[in-house]
This record gives sequence, C-alpha cells and structure tokens, in this order.
Amino acid sequence: MTAGRSGVLSACAACLIAGCGSIDAPTAMSVPAPGSAAASAPTQSVTLGSALAGEQAVARGLDDMPRSLDPLLVNDVPGQRIADDLFEGLTSADISGKAAPGVASSWESSADGKTWLFHLRPDARWSNGAPVTAADFVYAWRREVDPRTGAQYAEGLAPIENALAIATGNKPPESLGVAAIDQRTLRVRLNGPTPYLLDLLALQYLYPVYEPAITRYADAWVRPEHLVCNGAFVLRENVIGSRITLQKNDKYWDAAHVRLQRVTYYVLPSRADQAARFLANDLDWTDSFAANQRTWLKSIVGEQAVNSPYFGAYFLGMNVQLPPFKDNLPLRQALVLALDREPLVHYMRQGMYQPAYTWMPPLPGYELPVPDWQGLGDDARHALARRLYAQAGYSEQHPLRITLYIPSQDGDSRHFFEAITASWFSILGAEVRLYEEEFKVLAQERNLHKLPLFYDAWIGDYPDPYTFMQIRYSGNGNNNAVYSNPAFDQLIDAAGQEPDNVNRYRLFQQAERLLNDDAPYIPLYYYATRHLVKPYLRGWQSNVMDRNLSRYMYLLEHQRR
Amino acid sequence: MLRYTVRRLLGALPTLLVIVTLAFLLLHAAPGGPFDSEKRMMPEIQRSIEARYHLDEPLWRQYLRYLGDLAHGDLGPSFQYRSTSVNEIIAQGLPVDATIGLTAITLALSIGGTVGINAALRRGTRWDYGSMAVAMAGISVPVFVVAPLLILVFAIKLHWLPAGDWVHGSPSHLLLPAVALALPYTAYIARLMRAGTIDVLNSPFIRTARAKGLPLRLIVWRHALPPTLTPLVSFLGPAIAGLLTGSIVVETVFGLPGIGRYFITAALNRDYTLVIGITVLYGALIILFNLLADLCYAWIDPRVRLR
Repeated sequence: MTAGRSGVLSACAACLIAGCGSIDAPTAMSVPAPGSAAASAPTQSVTLGSALAGEQAVARGLDDMPRSLDPLLVNDVPGQRIADDLFEGLTSADISGKAAPGVASSWESSADGKTWLFHLRPDARWSNGAPVTAADFVYAWRREVDPRTGAQYAEGLAPIENALAIATGNKPPESLGVAAIDQRTLRVRLNGPTPYLLDLLALQYLYPVYEPAITRYADAWVRPEHLVCNGAFVLRENVIGSRITLQKNDKYWDAAHVRLQRVTYYVLPSRADQAARFLANDLDWTDSFAANQRTWLKSIVGEQAVNSPYFGAYFLGMNVQLPPFKDNLPLRQALVLALDREPLVHYMRQGMYQPAYTWMPPLPGYELPVPDWQGLGDDARHALARRLYAQAGYSEQHPLRITLYIPSQDGDSRHFFEAITASWFSILGAEVRLYEEEFKVLAQERNLHKLPLFYDAWIGDYPDPYTFMQIRYSGNGNNNAVYSNPAFDQLIDAAGQEPDNVNRYRLFQQAERLLNDDAPYIPLYYYATRHLVKPYLRGWQSNVMDRNLSRYMYLLEHQRR
Repeated sequence: MLRYTVRRLLGALPTLLVIVTLAFLLLHAAPGGPFDSEKRMMPEIQRSIEARYHLDEPLWRQYLRYLGDLAHGDLGPSFQYRSTSVNEIIAQGLPVDATIGLTAITLALSIGGTVGINAALRRGTRWDYGSMAVAMAGISVPVFVVAPLLILVFAIKLHWLPAGDWVHGSPSHLLLPAVALALPYTAYIARLMRAGTIDVLNSPFIRTARAKGLPLRLIVWRHALPPTLTPLVSFLGPAIAGLLTGSIVVETVFGLPGIGRYFITAALNRDYTLVIGITVLYGALIILFNLLADLCYAWIDPRVRLR
C-alpha cells in the first residue's frame, strides 16, 4: 500500500510492512561483541569506543508528521515507525524485519490452516501495569473493522472471518472471527489458509489498544498524558510538526534487553534538511535521503549512507479501458520495451535504485518471472518496440501524442520523467508531454480512472506476493489501470486456497507472467531503503520491509574528532 | 480614539467573513479531497470518515456549521492530523513563530534602523554606499539560500549552533532562524530609514533646529526620528502580522514547530479546517496590526491626531 504525499512522493509515504516468511526465535539481543564492532566501524570523523555509550539516547529523522499515533488509524510510514516503538502485536518485527514472537509467546494452527490459537505471554503488560489480555486484541480488532471507526486499513484484516462483511456494514463487529478463550488465549478464524498471517500480525493495524483509555478520552487518548501502550517505549512528548519523544517503558516484558533510554524523532519533511541535520550531528539516523544528493553524500559520509532493497515498486500505469491503450496491446508493449532502464535508472537516480522488469519487487524466496525481452540487446529490443509501435498503427507521420501525468512537489523526479519521454521520442518517435498535477488531484483522477498514462507506485504491506498481486485483481480499488483478466483472477483465487508457499509462489509467478504479457503498466524501478546512519548507532539491519524498531538499537561510545 | 478603535474593529468583522467565505469556497472547489491518497480506501470506510467531518452534508450547511463554531472560537478538528484540533495546532505553533518573529523584528529594527540613519547622515560617503549595497544584497538573496548557508557555516562546519529543532527558552536554538528571518527585513528597514531620514533632514524644521545650534544627536533623536518612523510603521504593520504567523522556509529548514508551513502543506493536503483556520488568523492579525499602525501614526504625528 502506499500513500503518497507531497514531498518526494515516492511511495514512501504510507505503506505497510512486516517481516519475512519464517519465524525466528525472539531476538534476544546480547550486547554485541564490543571489540568486533569497533574494528569494523567505518569512521568518518568519529572514533568509536568499544563499550556502550553512557547516554543511550538516539535522535532519528522522520519524513513527515504522523497523521495519527493511534496504531489502528496509522496509514503512513512515519506513523508506523512510532507505532512500532510504542506498541506490540501478537508477533513483532525482529531486527531483520521478520515476524518473531511478540505478545504471543507461542501458537498453533489447525490442519487446514484456518484456525489459530495464540498463547499470550504472562508478563506482557500495559504501560500502566495492567496485563495485556486476549480481550484487548478482540476489542482492538473489532474496533479496526468497525466502519464507524473510519480506519483506513480495516481491509488489512480481510483474511479474518467476516472482517470485510463488517467493514462494509453488513455484519456487526461482534461477528469478527476472533475470540478470547481465556485471559491469555486468543482464537483466530480465517477465511482460508494465510501463510503470511504471522507477518500480518506484526503490523500496527493488528496491535492491541487499551480500551479504558479510549473509552475515557476518545480521540484524545493518544496524547502523552493519556496514552497507554504495551511496546518498548512510552510517549513522553508530541510537539506537532516538530518532534516526538519516547522514553523507555520499564513495564515492557523485554525491558531488560532494551538499551535506549530515550528516542527522539525529529519531523523533517525535506530530505535535504534531514541530511543537513545528520551532518551537523543532530541526527543519528535519517528516515531517508534524496536520490539527487546520493553521490554528494556518499563522498562525504561514505558507508554511513546505506541503501538496500525495499519491497516497493515505481512504475507508470496505463489505463487499459481508455484510448489509446484500450484494445491496443502492441502499443502498451512498445512503451514498455522502448526504455533503456539500466542507464535511465543508474544515471537519473544516481544508482539509488534497481531497474525493474517485473511487477513484484525482489522478495527473498520468490523467483521473479523476468520477461524474455530483458535478455535482448538494446538494438534488438528497440527494433521490437518499433515493430510493435507500427503494428499499433503509429508512424513518423502519425506519432503517438499523449500526456503523462506526474505529481508536482516532487522536484527530485521531474528530470527522470523527462528522460523517459525523451527515450520514447528517440526510439519510437512518440510525443509524450509531461503534465504535473498536485498530488491530491492526481490521486483522485487516477482513482476515478480518468487518466490514460500516469505515475504510480506501490509498497507491500507484508512480505508476501499477495500484497502486490491483489491490486491487479478485477475491481480492486487500487487497480488504477482497470486491468481485468479472468485467468489472472483465477490464479490469485487458487493461490488463496493454497497453504503451501512453494505452490502459492508458483501460482503467483504464473499470474505475474500473464500480467506482464498483458502490459497494463510500465515497470521503472524497485524501491530502495535509504538511511544515513552514524557508525556508533548499532542494533539495526537493512531489511526489505524497512522496519527498524528502536527497541533493538543502542549507541557505542564514541568521540567526534 | 476609543470610538475610532471600536469602529475599526467592528468594521473588520465583514472583512473576516469575506476571508472565511472565500477560503471555504475555494478549498471546496479545488479538485482532490482530504482523503484521496495513493491507497484507496474502502468506500464504506471513506463515507464513515467523511461523515465524521460532516463532509456528507450539503455545502451550505457545512458552511453555517463552520461559522457557528468559529463564532465560539472553535476552528474545528484537523482533517489530516486526527485527534488534533486546529486550535491546538495554532496554540502550539503560534508562540514559536511569535518568539522568532519578534526577535527577528527587534534585530531588524535595531540594526536596520541604526545602519539606515547612519547612512543618511553620511550620505554619499563610502559608508553610505557600502551599507546600502549590503542592504540591497540582503533584500535580493532569498531566505531559502541564506538559511541553509547559515546552517552550513555555523552548524555543520563550526558546530557552534544547532542546525535546527526548537527548545523553549533556548537562545542557541533561536539565533539562526531569527537571523535568517531578520535579514531581508533589516535590509529593507535600513533603506527605508535612510530615505526617510534624508527626506526629513532637508526639511525646514531641521534647518531651524540646526540654526538654533542644537547638537546633532538631539536633532536626530528628537526632531528627525519621529517623522521618519511614519513609512516604517506602515511597513511594520503587515510585516509583523506576517512574521507572527511564521515563515514556511525558515520553519522547514530549521524544523521548527510553527504554523507557517501549514499555509502550504495544509492546502496541499486539503486539510480544509486547518487552511481556513490559519487564513482567518492571518487575516485577523493583519487587520489588528494595521489598526495598531494607524494608532501609532496618531501618536507619532500630531497632524494625524487633528484629523
């Protein structure tokens, strides 16, 4: 899911997350072998010590002001970062972003994979000392799917029995397939086998919330003076538009392994400002940095600028129900082929991202069904594109003339789109005009299916192909290309009934091949995480879901030269 | 004087009503709604959220509802930041902007005023040309260049001052943003004061004062200064209103929790109530400070009082 925002609207705005398929043991964080840490430290102007720093307080940049601190209402990445530190679900993202036991210490599922029992750990407590119970989850999940709550991610609970019927107002919230067997046992009934359930449970819209606080304070329950949470940190201060300060939660069941005493998130919507604050040593970690500053930053801070694959894709959509793309497969294919992705992405995005050839971004364990044309040389691919272009009825005398709608407020990307249109012009002779639209307008027109050719992006909520595949399903609300292929839908339905991931992935790959043949979109590049991180900040790892809980972080002793 | 003030304040109400109405209509006419985003919501959920903000009602009823709340001083809930009211956002941000704005205007007045008067007194000298060239540069170089330069030099290179953030009562956090904000005002005031002083110095009553043998200091302070303040006051009225409501550039670059940034971001986010709220606030401040400026004229210039 993604939600764009003004800023660099990379989809980096709202989206969601979770860890990978397998479940690891809870990451008991031993203090890292201090000596080895110091040895590998890339130092720029910093001398690293070997012990923990005396003051365990970290300053992190945040791309935007979270829209809400209520985990069930969070719909943006900044909000997710805060929710991840304040709350904990049945499972929890470990240091590598994978789902690990959280409030639930163990679980079992029925043979058909449709009924799950979760056993809550006895020492899980709210920040006011009350125990976290199965009833807290029942309350929270019912609240999430109740349409009166107006939670944007109510759909996220779709695998749970009756969730969609409740969200659409056709059943009461009490009919949700979740029940508290006793104080510490939660039963969940699903519509079908859901191999990614444990990843889903580590997401903020399945976190528990504390009913008495919400009953008493209503919307104001998320203020520092009222907020009751169950994560590694508590909320100390929320200065709107400026910073959010968290403090270690001594009531947290794993508090013994949490070393940070304080986390301060600074809200800095401009990536350049985040970089400046990092260079001024005001930030130990930035949420992101701009592609157009990458080369410069690398030259100053070297290894402190970190990129890694991120589970998101940047692409252009073609509305297959609007001219000129309706019933014109050759034209769509020609536009897909007539882009030299490697140099385009490398030079126009300063090597930040990997060029894309598929719908799904790389996901550990899933082999991408790369189309055959990827192997073609430039000349052969261009020739093929020209042939398809001619076949679609266009020529030098009668070129394709169309507008590509892109978001304004994204100065970082304009030159990239210009390079794309230049590429189409030089290879095909197509005359594509760029039209910048305010993001809210672009989003609305795209959702109303008014635009034939437009910028689009998607970030997976959880590390499973379904989070990408679902939006190409006929009638999906985010299917901006209005793509519909019954064969594709059948494969997705079949995958939904398949408990075994090997078989599921095979079905998804088949579906994706169909999708690529139908070409309702133009792949551009896969996203990357991008952080500036001080060498003395440890206890984090790059991961495809870009989840980095403060819970695992710590600071090494250091001296700035 | 009191009657005049009351009459002006009452006269401001229709002006404010026009501002509210225009802002309200323009926002609702703009394409794209507050809840359009990259991820589309389920229609039922979207309807529920819209009902919460009364967006499901006819426009005229929403408008009347807003006016009713406004009359009670309630600017409504923010659409974008759930569980936060526009009143809270303003209450939290305005003091920050006011502190920085007032510091900046104090800096600008003291430095700009001194430089301008000195340039006038030494008209045609190297000092005059030099300071006016610097002032011209100060007006010409935009804040979005100055602010990052200040950060680069004083925060990143020298590490003397923080590159941003806001801590109540901390002068070190106040200094760079106040200086960045003050710079163009300082330059403008210097030029204004120079021109005004030169004008006044040529007038007959100054010649009389000189002829009486008054020392220069007294001539400047007692006789020349008050009339030169008139153009300055008409500049300061709207300028202070602007400074109090913050600067988007300074706030963004230094990461300050002011309200200036919402003039842009709230509009882009279609956060209707927040946009109208700060627009009304800005309008009210402009009216208020223009009134204060007019009252100042009367105080500075007896001729105005007579009229």
